[in-house]
Amino acid sequence: MGNSLFVSALKSRSPRVRASLCVMGLGQLLSRQWVKGLAYLSALAAFVAYMALTGARDIVGFFTLGTVEADPWLGVAGDDSIIMLLRGLLCYVIILAVVALYRSNLRDIMEIEHNGAWGGNAPGFISSVKGYMDRKFYIVALALPVAGVLVFNVIPIVFMILISFTNYGGDIVPPKLVDWTGFDSFRRVLSLSGIKETFFRILGWNVVWALLSTAINYFGGLALALLLNKKCVKRKKFWRMFPILAYAVPGFITLLAFKFLFSYGGPINHYITEAGHSAVGFLDIDAGIKARIIGLGVNAWISIPTSMLLATGILSNMNMNLYEAASIDGAGPWQQFKKITLPFVVFSTTPVLITNFIGNFNNFGIFYFLRGGLYMDGYFLASDTDLLINWLYNLSIDNNYYSIGAAVSLIIFIITSAVSLSVYIRSNAYRKEDTFR
Amino acid sequence: MKWRKHLDWLLTHLTLVIVCFIFFFPVLWLTLASFSATGSIYDLGGFFPKSFSLAGFRKLFGDTTMYDYPNWLKNTLFVAVGSSVLGTILVILTAYTISRFQFKARKTLMKSTLVLSMFPSFMGMTAVYLLMVNFGLINRLWALILIYASGAPMGYLVQKGYFDSLSSSVFEAARLDGASSFRVFRSIALPLSKPIIVYTALTQFAWPWSDFILPNLLLKNKDKWTVAVGLMHLDETQFTRFAAGSIFIAVPIVILYFCLSGFLVTGVTAGAAKE
Repeated sequence: MGNSLFVSALKSRSPRVRASLCVMGLGQLLSRQWVKGLAYLSALAAFVAYMALTGARDIVGFFTLGTVEADPWLGVAGDDSIIMLLRGLLCYVIILAVVALYRSNLRDIMEIEHNGAWGGNAPGFISSVKGYMDRKFYIVALALPVAGVLVFNVIPIVFMILISFTNYGGDIVPPKLVDWTGFDSFRRVLSLSGIKETFFRILGWNVVWALLSTAINYFGGLALALLLNKKCVKRKKFWRMFPILAYAVPGFITLLAFKFLFSYGGPINHYITEAGHSAVGFLDIDAGIKARIIGLGVNAWISIPTSMLLATGILSNMNMNLYEAASIDGAGPWQQFKKITLPFVVFSTTPVLITNFIGNFNNFGIFYFLRGGLYMDGYFLASDTDLLINWLYNLSIDNNYYSIGAAVSLIIFIITSAVSLSVYIRSNAYRKEDTFR
Repeated sequence: MKWRKHLDWLLTHLTLVIVCFIFFFPVLWLTLASFSATGSIYDLGGFFPKSFSLAGFRKLFGDTTMYDYPNWLKNTLFVAVGSSVLGTILVILTAYTISRFQFKARKTLMKSTLVLSMFPSFMGMTAVYLLMVNFGLINRLWALILIYASGAPMGYLVQKGYFDSLSSSVFEAARLDGASSFRVFRSIALPLSKPIIVYTALTQFAWPWSDFILPNLLLKNKDKWTVAVGLMHLDETQFTRFAAGSIFIAVPIVILYFCLSGFLVTGVTAGAAKE
């Protein structure tokens, strides 16, 4: 696509197209499109100046990540590897932007040429901008959202991917120099003793957690919705109020409240001690399976209302004739559920199911609030309820193991995307995206 | 057969009562605890306080030397309103454009948001944290607004589903009458999309209102804390203060959700069916 534009520009015999091919904006000036031509030209000039002043040095710095280490005794300022990495990244972004601009310049001059509008009878700048805004409304409308996502989502992610190939973190933070180390961080996560065991232990629990909690929340919500949908239940609005109440309370309040509920001084332990037993450390370091079960329960409390709302919505779209036909054919309620309700609901909620699975796989809040910051024997900076995402937090935010943390994030990414990709490919819902419209 | 029907009724309602009790009990517990006359969880003596008073709330707003709740509230409100306004504009623009226009990059954009959403949210956040530290942008409330609002367009699918469901004939008729794309958006799409704008504004407000990860990372100074960060720093001896503070910020959100519970069902469902 991009090449064909370039090739057809090369093939053009027009001097104006050739001028724009060599120097962005020159052809527009020759076509007497002064504002546009000057804009392209000054962008080019700014780019050249930037490259000459710092850009070239930034690109080199991106590869070396600094050569001079700071020395306070000798008064040497030294290089800041992370800043150099960032400046290099910025330079790449600018180069990409200029390439895009250059292509728009080619497209523009070809259009002028095509319309034969080069003799000064081209539309004026203002009206051509107006026309552009109308024809390419989507570009104008999407510019801001896309820019925001680029700056605050894409660049940070690219930055972290780069970090995972360095040795940044631990002892090696500026003013020490950071180096590119290839796949070393990944190798350390997957093979360095201590880290390796922790990783696989947490991964195992994480998979179990994600499967269990997704299943509990999904079927819990569905069951609740079916229960509320029963004909014999009057005042559905009243009953529905309670789960919606739970849904509306901000998550961190729920989590902190549950933490207090199960704490040593909390009411549950109060009744246990009053009955003559010693207080139970439900969420203590040696809580073992208790803490995991509480985590599942609390997550269910938080998530079932959402999936109930979802299931209610889906059920209300169902074709009720199917049930009548089924009961005439003598199918019992369980058969009806298995053969009609379940396939329909699962079919229409597959995308949500994946989202929920990934959300649970990366559920940070539950164990961060219930028992965050516990480090257990046999685990490297983690505890037995921590999910990979909690470990990631302990590693990179609390303990500055940035490159290992970044490597763990990429491994999480690979796992979650592999799961969702395989489900997407199998599910019909994806293939039928356009038939819904 | 009649007894079976009765049994069914009984079992159904028994389950409902139990389930609703499970959902209601923690809320009730926290609400009553916020009116406790004593401050610490140890003095509570069981689930419910023995004597009630407004002391918790009075302390919450009066005794601000250690825990400045009114200030947290102000910060939270600023961040939530700012991100709601900015985020809603960005989401609606994105969803409308992707739903209404066919262009080359459309599928690419949709696929890239899908891929981007696969990255653990923490990954970007760690980077944002590192970048903000490197550029000295820590402890800025507006930085939070920018981050929340610019992440918002990634969740455009519900809104796109809504725009997909609008009949396209109105839009085509307007185009035939010579209205510009911008005009169509302003005079036709916006008035038609009031419900989804309300829904978006609400969700964009509720997210920063109850988020704790980002403020906890980026707001280190006590005077910049939001309510979530502040409440996280209250320990067991400050339990009544915690309960009062939680109830105070949960009540407006709960009321809002109840007023809009009709929207919620359609919102959640639209996102599901029109993925």
